[in-house]
Amino acid sequence: MSAPAGSRATARERAPKRTRKVQRMSAPADPRDAQVVDPSAGRRLSRPVLGAIGAFTVIALWEGSARLVWSDAQVLPAPTQAIAAAWQHLTVAELAQHVGWSLWRILAGFALGALAGVALGVASGWYAWLARLVRPIIELLRPIPPLAWIPIAIVWFGLGEPSKIFVIFLGAFFPIFTNAWRGMVSVSPVLLAAARTMDVDGPALLFKVALPAALPDISTGLRVGFGLSFGILVAAELIAAERGMGFLVMHSRQLGQLGVAVFAILLIGFVTLVADSLLAATLRRLVGRRMPS
Amino acid sequence: MSPPKSRLEEGSALQAAASRDATPPRSVHAHAGGHGAADLGPLGGTARRAKGAHSSTQSAFARSLGRPAETAPARDWRDWGYPLLVIAAGLALWQGAVMIGWLRPIQFPPPSKLAASLVELVVDGYPEGIGLGTHFAITMQRILLGYLAAIALAIPLGLVIGWVPLLDDLTDPVIAFGRSVATLSLLPLAVVWFGTGEMAKVFLIGYGCFWVMLSNVVAAVKSVDPVLIRAARTMDVSGAALFRQVALPAALPRIFSGARVALGVGFMVIVGAEMIGTIRGLGALIMEARTFYRTDITMVGMFVIGALGLAIAVGLERLEARLLPWQAREARRGT
Repeated sequence: MSAPAGSRATARERAPKRTRKVQRMSAPADPRDAQVVDPSAGRRLSRPVLGAIGAFTVIALWEGSARLVWSDAQVLPAPTQAIAAAWQHLTVAELAQHVGWSLWRILAGFALGALAGVALGVASGWYAWLARLVRPIIELLRPIPPLAWIPIAIVWFGLGEPSKIFVIFLGAFFPIFTNAWRGMVSVSPVLLAAARTMDVDGPALLFKVALPAALPDISTGLRVGFGLSFGILVAAELIAAERGMGFLVMHSRQLGQLGVAVFAILLIGFVTLVADSLLAATLRRLVGRRMPS
Repeated sequence: MSPPKSRLEEGSALQAAASRDATPPRSVHAHAGGHGAADLGPLGGTARRAKGAHSSTQSAFARSLGRPAETAPARDWRDWGYPLLVIAAGLALWQGAVMIGWLRPIQFPPPSKLAASLVELVVDGYPEGIGLGTHFAITMQRILLGYLAAIALAIPLGLVIGWVPLLDDLTDPVIAFGRSVATLSLLPLAVVWFGTGEMAKVFLIGYGCFWVMLSNVVAAVKSVDPVLIRAARTMDVSGAALFRQVALPAALPRIFSGARVALGVGFMVIVGAEMIGTIRGLGALIMEARTFYRTDITMVGMFVIGALGLAIAVGLERLEARLLPWQAREARRGT
């Protein structure tokens, strides 16, 4: 047990050292080159501060143009007007309910898709006969955008929750399956052969050697699948739902509360951003430095 | 003048090799062989390798957006024989299950019915006599208009942002947020701004493509190997020439793959956007058919959409292979 942990630690230490060496080797003599090595070196404001300034500028421009140029909250509400409208028309409990429903659908659909995608992808990457059986059908269905499944999902599952969860499931499943399969297939044969010479075979070879080697690809698939699920969720809620963030956008537009709609759109963006960075952080912890950026 | 310059080039090639670990010494020799020339030929080589380093992540992303798996050249009849066999068996099972009565034809119209519906769709049209060709043309027109507008805006903007670190720092959160806003959630707003006509749909596609394209172009310029830029500077290339002759060619492959991903996004958006408030276009076709319980038409429409998506993906891949041949070679070797 201690041996693999030790080797992993040394591998982790080695990587930064090598980078440092390369940087020192190419240490710039010309100050203009400092920019190339570290873009923020020699600048007085740090990256997050500059980012905040940029974001604030955009919001201020929006606020100013909405109030001065268009000056019609029914065409382009200013950010402050959107927040005021949301404050006026929505209670916190209502808002929490919409967000909660959306998150529940995402989690259910994504969890099912991830589970099925990883299991089937890893299995068909390991057993060639399974891949031969499963991949033609998956490759045939994969080019169909998940949103195009919405009508048929309604036919199969009705207008309730299952149809939405099914479409989100599909959005997550295809990229996760493909990446898991590809990750398994592209595990270096040398690695597997080396493990076999050490008498590692069967389930141990799969779970201790091949699967860890395929993890970076699998986590790429998970992130792509998660991003897709969010876009699909909103579309599914726009088309057929009576709760959720997408519904909130559509419904408040129909009620003529454009400010609330804008607020809901921004909320969707914010929730997506937070959820995606949470997933990225989790994966980075699990997969470690093998995770592709 | 010539000898020190050539040593320098060799040095930069070695450095690049060191930073990219696992580069075979062969390419270093290749660089040394081509030294001395005042043009930046050998540097292009470094760029290719720099590109190769992140191509695997990126192509994984592109693949997941409907790009078909790169198939190795057909070596064996099994490569295409087995898939065909499996699909044929699947269709036969489906047909059989409907005929026995295990599947309801209203939910799972059998393949024989789908074939008939395809003919009906092409000849008679649906709904209101709108033929498949018209739906197809309208969808394509919307995608292309929105996509081209987005590309035309995003490429120059992204090049500037990626080249100037200060601009990149300033815009980074805004771009991340713009990307995160689900494009289709803007549909109600687009209807307020542009009415229910074509413009609203083109706007949505444009919005979706724009942010994806912008972030890819920025990343492409930023990920140009710094060694490459320093090497060019030592040869007194700077300013606009540095950008045009060194950074831009090195960033091109990634820009192209960004363009491919963006088209995939646009394709996804259009299907959703057409499901609301129109009866023309492929997305509208499948939704209309659903409303009137023509599940067979819905399914045919889905497969047409899938085929279109596949054709676009394969077409762009071919185009990329033709325009950037080194890139395709690298990708094949890389995976």
